[in-house]
Amino acid sequence: MMVLQTLRGGPMHGYALAQVIKRNSGDLLEIEEGSLYPALQRMLKAGWLKAEWGVSARNRRVRVYRITPGGRKQLERKVSSFDRMLEGIARVMRPAES
Amino acid sequence: MKWIADFVRRRQADRDVDQEVTAHLEEKMADLIDSGMPEDEAREKARREFGNVALYRQDSREAWGWVWLETLLQDLRYAVRMLRRNPGFTLVAVFSLAIGIGVNSAMFSLADALLLRPLSVSRPNEVVTVSGVTPSGPSTSISYRDYIDFRDRSKSFDGLVAYTLANFGFSARPGDLAQMKVGFLVSGNLFRAMGVEPELGRAFRPEEDQVPGRDAVVVLGHDFWEKELGADPSFVGRKVRLSGIEFTVIGVAPERFTGMDQYMRPAMFVPLAMAASMAAKPESDMLEHRGERSLAVKGRLKAGTNVPQAQAELAAIAKGLERAYPDTNRDRGVAVSTELQARIQDDPTDASLVAMLMALAGLVLLVACANIANLLLSRARARTREIAIRLAIGAGRLRLLRQLLAESLAIALAGGLVSLLFAYAGAAFLNRIQIPSDLPIVFAVRVDQRVLSFSLAISLASTVLFGLVPALQASRTGLAPVMKAADADSSRGQRLWGRSTLVVAQVALSLVLTIVAAMLFRGFRADLMGGPGYRTDHLALMTFDPTLARYSDAQTQQFYKSLRERALATTGVKSAALSMVIPMAPNQHTENFVPEGYQLPKNQDRVPVLADTVGEGYFDTMAIAILRGRGFRGSDTATAPRVAVVNQELAKRYWPNRDAIGKRFRLDDPKGPWVEVVGVAKTSKYEWVGENATPFLYLPLAQHPSSRMTLVAQSFGDAAALMAPLREMVRGLDANQPVYDVRTMADIYEARAIATPKLITQTVGAMGVIGLLLAMVGLYGLMAYSVARRTREIGIRMAIGADRGSVERMVLRQGFILAIVGLAIGLLASFAAETGVNAVFSATGRDPWAYVIVAPALLAVTMLAAWAPARRAANVDPMRALRDE
Repeated sequence: MMVLQTLRGGPMHGYALAQVIKRNSGDLLEIEEGSLYPALQRMLKAGWLKAEWGVSARNRRVRVYRITPGGRKQLERKVSSFDRMLEGIARVMRPAES
Repeated sequence: MKWIADFVRRRQADRDVDQEVTAHLEEKMADLIDSGMPEDEAREKARREFGNVALYRQDSREAWGWVWLETLLQDLRYAVRMLRRNPGFTLVAVFSLAIGIGVNSAMFSLADALLLRPLSVSRPNEVVTVSGVTPSGPSTSISYRDYIDFRDRSKSFDGLVAYTLANFGFSARPGDLAQMKVGFLVSGNLFRAMGVEPELGRAFRPEEDQVPGRDAVVVLGHDFWEKELGADPSFVGRKVRLSGIEFTVIGVAPERFTGMDQYMRPAMFVPLAMAASMAAKPESDMLEHRGERSLAVKGRLKAGTNVPQAQAELAAIAKGLERAYPDTNRDRGVAVSTELQARIQDDPTDASLVAMLMALAGLVLLVACANIANLLLSRARARTREIAIRLAIGAGRLRLLRQLLAESLAIALAGGLVSLLFAYAGAAFLNRIQIPSDLPIVFAVRVDQRVLSFSLAISLASTVLFGLVPALQASRTGLAPVMKAADADSSRGQRLWGRSTLVVAQVALSLVLTIVAAMLFRGFRADLMGGPGYRTDHLALMTFDPTLARYSDAQTQQFYKSLRERALATTGVKSAALSMVIPMAPNQHTENFVPEGYQLPKNQDRVPVLADTVGEGYFDTMAIAILRGRGFRGSDTATAPRVAVVNQELAKRYWPNRDAIGKRFRLDDPKGPWVEVVGVAKTSKYEWVGENATPFLYLPLAQHPSSRMTLVAQSFGDAAALMAPLREMVRGLDANQPVYDVRTMADIYEARAIATPKLITQTVGAMGVIGLLLAMVGLYGLMAYSVARRTREIGIRMAIGADRGSVERMVLRQGFILAIVGLAIGLLASFAAETGVNAVFSATGRDPWAYVIVAPALLAVTMLAAWAPARRAANVDPMRALRDE
């Protein structure tokens, strides 16, 4: 979800993606950078992403990922269900108000 | 099939991920170095924050889902390695499975040749058989007029076709000596409806079967065109003569179209409309007479129509025909059946034989599978430690199960491969069945793609059969107890009980198989020893059909009269006679009769009975004993009172406890002519050597003229040497007279009465021996395993004073109990099986010898299998057994 959200801002290659996610989460989420790649492959297979070879800012050959319309739709679904889940958790945590 | 393409591309995708990960690490390193970190430290940090590179690469790869295939291959590779490390186990397992599968493949190829092989038309599963039904018999032919009504009024079919066998005197050029060929008279739509495109030329046009006798066109069968006309394409368009009429060859059928059933390969196809001009007897014109039923009818069901719907529609039409033509169609129904149903109905003997052999083959496979399951269970025990370690270091139970099943799969595939040898050998063995006839009958047992697919399918099925239970049990291994002690076995009693059941079942099954084989052997031998009831040596046979030379009835009878006279005058001939059918020959004849003073079952007004029309001197020539009364005489002419000779069985069945001589019956139906019984002949074997006593009726040729007759000539010397002078004699009579089915009685008897039963007994006997071998392997496996796991216990026993003899006896006793229980169950099952065997063959009652010989032999052999492990137990060294912790 974070990957899709990040890629909505524009196409990006793997390392850059990892950096952005790390920065945006304020270093709160300690994820191994490597775990990004299996996730990317799964999303490629599901058709949510497209990849093509490009060149990084440092002139290295890298794969640049781009979100597809299918990916956007998936993101919307995910976000709304995630919101519902958060709402549910919130209600449970504050039972008096509900 | 996208995943296949993905799989092919997977190497590229792997490289992509590798490159990507490398780029990631380098970028990060560069960033870190830019921020002032030393290179070593930067590389270290980049690696650390990335995590396990190999693992993520692996995960990325798995995301694509090729992994199941890769791990399957990996599992198989590993399985092969494990199996190679245990060559003894592998050899036994693969070999016994190969036997089990091979027997099944061979039997399947037989079943395929006899029953299952689909018609050689396009989309054969849509084609159904339409047959007539009468109150007395289930399936009869259909008349041309009825066929036309069915064809034109029904809506269930995409083409309803009719055909019938016909003999043609074929000559490629005018003036050539005519050869007898069997072809089909077919409805004009046959090729179109069956989706058969001629290889050369064209098929019939719709108008070519409209006007009787107008369109003399013929399509040649591929086999005939290739083998006898040298595959000469110039035959298309040429004129040939069929039974004296000039025909134009318009096409050649394709090679794959071999006819309309599984055996007959017609030499040619002629429109039914030509039947009238070909027939020598215009009064029985089958195109005009609704009562002249001689056609086989098949139809291609329309899409969305099923057999019951077609049946209902045709039955309604048949009801209409019954009302419209009560004279010919009263009580005539119609049945629609699938090709397989029709074949079973046509030949229930073959069908039950196939079913019996397939069931036996299935039993053999079950025994083999039970065996291997047993071996695997024993091996799984030896491997509990390996499995526990794998579980401990994190292998999933499902993954483990898959690994164990992969080993089973490897065994099954190897077994399936080796089984092909057995299947080929079996098919070659079964191909020795011969049909003694000139008819273009092909009985081809072959290992083709269908048999190969079948073998593969049962290999895979047997994987589950023998592999699943051991694998499940092994993967359920408890971790802690195994790691703690090598010999822990929490549920010992229960598991051994299951395995003992397997062995007991095997012993029982192999006992049933061997006893059945022994019963068959003894049954056949008894039948052969009794003799068929007629002469089988010094007889030369040749068959004629003068209608092929377009003789009239009178000419035909005159021809036969002079034929016999001249034959008797030929040097070397001791006696000669004419007969319509020959015992044991494939084509037997049936007559309907109504015995006087016998209460027929309800809904039945006549009895079908095997019959023959014979000329003067037949009983003497064939040495068939006339027990009472007389045989036929020259005085039994067409104008004399009608007479018949019946066999003892018929006399006993319809006039029990009375003298059959002088009794009367009506021929054909309740309105038929009266016929008086003047003689009773000894019952003999008519269709095959194993048959039960069968009623039989002989009619004199002079009163029942027939066009197709066989000359039976008894020789003084070698029967085969008589053929040349007899042919010469026929040529002197009429050079245009086709002669066929020239052979000796000894040949027919050898093929039908000796070779075939021998083949069947050998087949079943081989199965019994195989079953016994497998049961031995099974018992040996169980006992060896049992000794191996009790090594410690045996060591303790010996340490506290048990001697070797008592240990040996202890193990033997265990095997003995299993064998005895198995034998007891097997004996009970054999009693049941004997009833089944007696139903198929004429074995006489219970056969105690089969039990007396087989059961103790089997016990001895199984004890031999238990003896080796017992010896091993006795040789256990207590010190080593106890130290072996």
